[in-house]
Amino acid sequence: MATQTQTEIEIERAREPNGNATVEAALNRRYEAGFVTDIESESLPPGLDEGVVRAISARKNEPEWMTEWRLAAFRHWLTMTPPHWAKLEIEPIDFQAISYFSQPKNRPKSLDEVDPKLLETYDKLGVPLHERARLAGVAVDAVFDSVSVGTTFRKELAAAGVIFCSISEAVREHPELVRKYLGSVVPTGDNYFAALNSAVFSDGSFVFVPKGVRCPMELSTYFRINARDTGQFERTLLIAEEGASVSYLEGCTAPMRDENQLHAAVVELVALDDATIKYSTVQNWYPGDENGVGGIYNFVTKRGDCRGARSKISWTQVETGSAITWKYPSCVLRGDESVGEFNSVALTHHRQQADTGTKMIHIGRNTKSKIVSKGISAGRGQNTYRGLVKVEKGADGARNHTQCDSLLIGKKCGAHTFPYIEVKNPGAIVEHEATTSKISEDQLFYCRSRGIGEEDAVSMIVDGFCKQVFKELPMEFAVEAKKLLEVSLEGAVG
Amino acid sequence: MSALLESLLGERAAPAALAGVREAAIAALRERGLPGPRDEAWKYTSLRALEQRRYADGDCGARMRAIDVGFLPGPSAARLVFVNGIHREDLSEVGAVTGLDIERLGERPDELAAILRSAPPVDAFGELNAALALDGVRVRVAAGARIQAPVQIVHVGTPADGDVAWSLRVQVELGDGAQLRLIEHHVGSAPNANLGSIVAAYRLGARARLDLIQLQDGAEGAGLFRRSDAVLGSDAIFDLHTVEVGAQLARHDLVVALEGRGARLRSRGVFALRGRQHADTRLAVTHAARDTACDIAWRGVADQRSRGVFHGAITVAAGADGADAQLSNKNLLLSAQAEIDTQPVLEIHADEVKAAHGATVGQLDERALFYLRSRGLPLDLARRMLVAAFCGAVLDDLEPALRARVDALLAARLPQAEATP
Repeated sequence: MATQTQTEIEIERAREPNGNATVEAALNRRYEAGFVTDIESESLPPGLDEGVVRAISARKNEPEWMTEWRLAAFRHWLTMTPPHWAKLEIEPIDFQAISYFSQPKNRPKSLDEVDPKLLETYDKLGVPLHERARLAGVAVDAVFDSVSVGTTFRKELAAAGVIFCSISEAVREHPELVRKYLGSVVPTGDNYFAALNSAVFSDGSFVFVPKGVRCPMELSTYFRINARDTGQFERTLLIAEEGASVSYLEGCTAPMRDENQLHAAVVELVALDDATIKYSTVQNWYPGDENGVGGIYNFVTKRGDCRGARSKISWTQVETGSAITWKYPSCVLRGDESVGEFNSVALTHHRQQADTGTKMIHIGRNTKSKIVSKGISAGRGQNTYRGLVKVEKGADGARNHTQCDSLLIGKKCGAHTFPYIEVKNPGAIVEHEATTSKISEDQLFYCRSRGIGEEDAVSMIVDGFCKQVFKELPMEFAVEAKKLLEVSLEGAVG
Repeated sequence: MSALLESLLGERAAPAALAGVREAAIAALRERGLPGPRDEAWKYTSLRALEQRRYADGDCGARMRAIDVGFLPGPSAARLVFVNGIHREDLSEVGAVTGLDIERLGERPDELAAILRSAPPVDAFGELNAALALDGVRVRVAAGARIQAPVQIVHVGTPADGDVAWSLRVQVELGDGAQLRLIEHHVGSAPNANLGSIVAAYRLGARARLDLIQLQDGAEGAGLFRRSDAVLGSDAIFDLHTVEVGAQLARHDLVVALEGRGARLRSRGVFALRGRQHADTRLAVTHAARDTACDIAWRGVADQRSRGVFHGAITVAAGADGADAQLSNKNLLLSAQAEIDTQPVLEIHADEVKAAHGATVGQLDERALFYLRSRGLPLDLARRMLVAAFCGAVLDDLEPALRARVDALLAARLPQAEATP
C-alpha cells in the first residue's frame, strides 16, 4: 500500500506542469478511492454546549476520560470572560455562531473559482501547483501528499522510536502518554481561549521522542495526516524525553483562504533532562483585505515547559498573516540550567493587528533566556511586542537578554513595545532594549543609487532587519519566509 | 466599598465653595472604587494594606506642635511649608519677587474650586484628592520673567492625634519665556502612618523653562500618592529631577504632555528603597507635536524586603514626526527578599521617529567590588561606594549644595553593613 502510494505521488509530480485538470483528476480519484472521509456529514451545527463537546468527543471515538476532560474544560470556560488587555481592536466574538466541528462552507469547486489575487500570490511564492489547490481550500481534501509522505516517513520514525501522529490517534493509541502530559503545560483553565480549545479541539499533532533519541528528520505539519482540516482548534503536544532532540515545523507556508474566523490553538511542549525542542512557525493565514474585511483571528496559547535540567526550548516564528494575531509562545524554565529562546518576526500590513511576544519564567538555577523580536508595521498595521521576563526567588544566576526592534513603513501604522520585567532574585541579570525607527533614508538612497528599485530596496532592508531571526529557521522555511515578507509588503512603499 | 473609602469619604467640614466639586468627586469615587490588582496600572502595587485603615481629618492637632525638620540649604525666592497638607504660616517665607506670584489656595476656596474643576480627575486617587483637598498653592511666573532663586514647597508629614489623610493641590503656571526653579521637598518630622495625596499641575508656556527637583524623603511608615501633570508649550523645556527614598508606600504618576512643537523633557530619577518600602513610579510621556524630544534616565535600588516598580511609557502620537525619545532604566537588586518590576513601554503612531528604551536589572559588578577590595576597602564600604556611584550617575548636574544633600539622603538608605561572604 505504501509503495503504491509512493508511485502515485511520483506520477502526480510528473504530471504537475500539465495544469489544473491533472491535479483535479488525481485528487478526485483519490477522493473516490476513499482516502478522505466525507466532510459534509461531519459538520455540527453552530453553537456550543455540553452536547456539542460530547458529540466532538464521540465523533473521535475518544475514551471516557477524554470526554470528561473536555467537559471539565468547557464548564470552566463558561465561568470565564474574554480577556481585553491586549492592544487590539476586536469585534466581540459570538461563540454560539461558530461551528465547532465543521469545514468552511462555500468552498470553491476548482482553482478557476479561487480569487485570482490569491493565485498570483501563490505564484510569487513558488508554491507547487497541487499545493496551491490544497491551500486554496478547493473542495477536495488534498491530503494525498501528506498521507503518503506521512506513512513513508512514519516507518523511519517508528524505527527510531519516535511517535508522530494526530492527537486523536494518540488519544486512542497512546492514552498513557496523552493522559500524563496533556494539559500539564497549559492547564485547561489557563486562559479563556485555552479553555475553549481544551473543550472543543478538533485535531492536532502528537510527537513523542523517547529517551536519548535524536529525531532523524525535521517534523512538519506538511507531513501530517489530515493537516488540512485540523483547522480552527488545533492541539499540539510535543514531548522530548531525557536527552532527546526534535525540530518541529508548523504552519501554513502559503495563504489559506478563509473567512473571518477564530483560530484558537494550544501548543504544549515538554522537555525533560537534556532534551532540546526547536519549534518553528511560519504563519500566513488569510490577513483580510486592504480594508480589514475578513481574515483570521489567530488567538493561540503556546507554552514550553523546560522540565528537566539542561533542557532547551526554542521558539521561532514568522507571523505575516491573520487579521489579528494574539499569542505569546512561552518558556517555563523549571530545570536548572535550562534555556529558552524566542525569535520572532511579525509583520502587519493594511489593517492587520498583532499583539505578540513571549514569556520567560525563570524558576531553575542558572537558567538563560534570549528574546529577539522584530516587528514591521506597514499601511495601517498595528504591531505590539508584549513580553514578560520573570525571575523567581530560587532562580540564582538567571540571565535574560531581550532585544526588540520595530520598523515603521508609512504614516498610519503603529509599533508598540510592552515588556514586563519582574525580578525577585538578586543574582539575576536581566536586560531589555528596544528601538523603533523607520527605514533609514540613507540606506534607501544607497540602494537606489545602485539602481535598485524602491520596492526591492525596502525588501532588502527588511530582510536585513529580520536576518537574525531568519537564520534560526530551517533552510527551506527561511527562503519561504523571506519571500512571504516581500509579498506581504507589496504596495507598502510609494 | 472598603472601610478605607468609608472613612475617607465621611462627613468633613469644608468651605461652601468646594461643596459642588467635592460631591462630584465623591460620587465618582464611590462609583469607581479603589483600584485592585486586576487594574493594569496597579498590577504591582497593592492597596490591601490600606484597606482596613481608618483616617481622621487632615492636620488634626499637628498645627499646634513644633516642627523640627531640616530645610534644604541655600537661598530661596520663597519657601512654602505644608504640614500634613495644611499651610504653616510660621514656617513659610514668602518675599516679594517681581514676576513671581504665589497664592495660598487654602485662603481662596473659590480659586481652589476653579482649579479642581479645570482638571477633572482621571483616576481614583485624583478623585480622592479632589474630594479632600482643602489647601494648596498656586505659583505663577509672568511671561518673560526669570526667577533666579528657587521656590521651595515643603511637605512635612508629622504624627497627629490619629492617622490622618490629607490632600492638597499644587498649580504651577509659567508664562511664555518664563523661567523657574522649583524644589518640592517631602520630609517627615517623625514616623507616622498618615496618608498623603498631592495633585500637581505644571503649565509651561512657549519657550518657558521649568527646572523641577522633587525630593521625596517622606516619613517612615507614611503612604504618599502623587500625581504630577505637566503640559509643555512650543519649545518649552522641562528639566526634572526626582529622588524617591522615603515613605512606606509611595506611588507617583508623572504625566508629561509635549504639546507644543519642539518641547523637550529631560528626566533624571533615582529610587533607593529598604526595609519594607514600596515605591511605584509611573512615568507617561506623550509626544503630541512635531520635533519634540524626551530623554529619560532612571536608576533604582531595592534592598532588604523592599519593592521598586518603574513604568516608563512613551507615546508618539500620529503626526508627531521628528520625535526623539530615549528612556533608560537600570536597577540594582541587592537582596533575595527584594523585588524590582520594570516596564518600559513604547507606543509609536508616527514614522519619522527615533525611539529607544532599555531596562536592566542586575547586581553589583563582582569585578568592581574585587578591585575596590584589592585596594584595601572593606566589602561594606566597597558596596556602598558602588551603589552610591550607580545612583549618582544620573544626578551629576544637580547643583553642588543640593547634590550633597541628596547624596547624604541616599547614603542613609543604601546598604548597611552586611555579613562578609
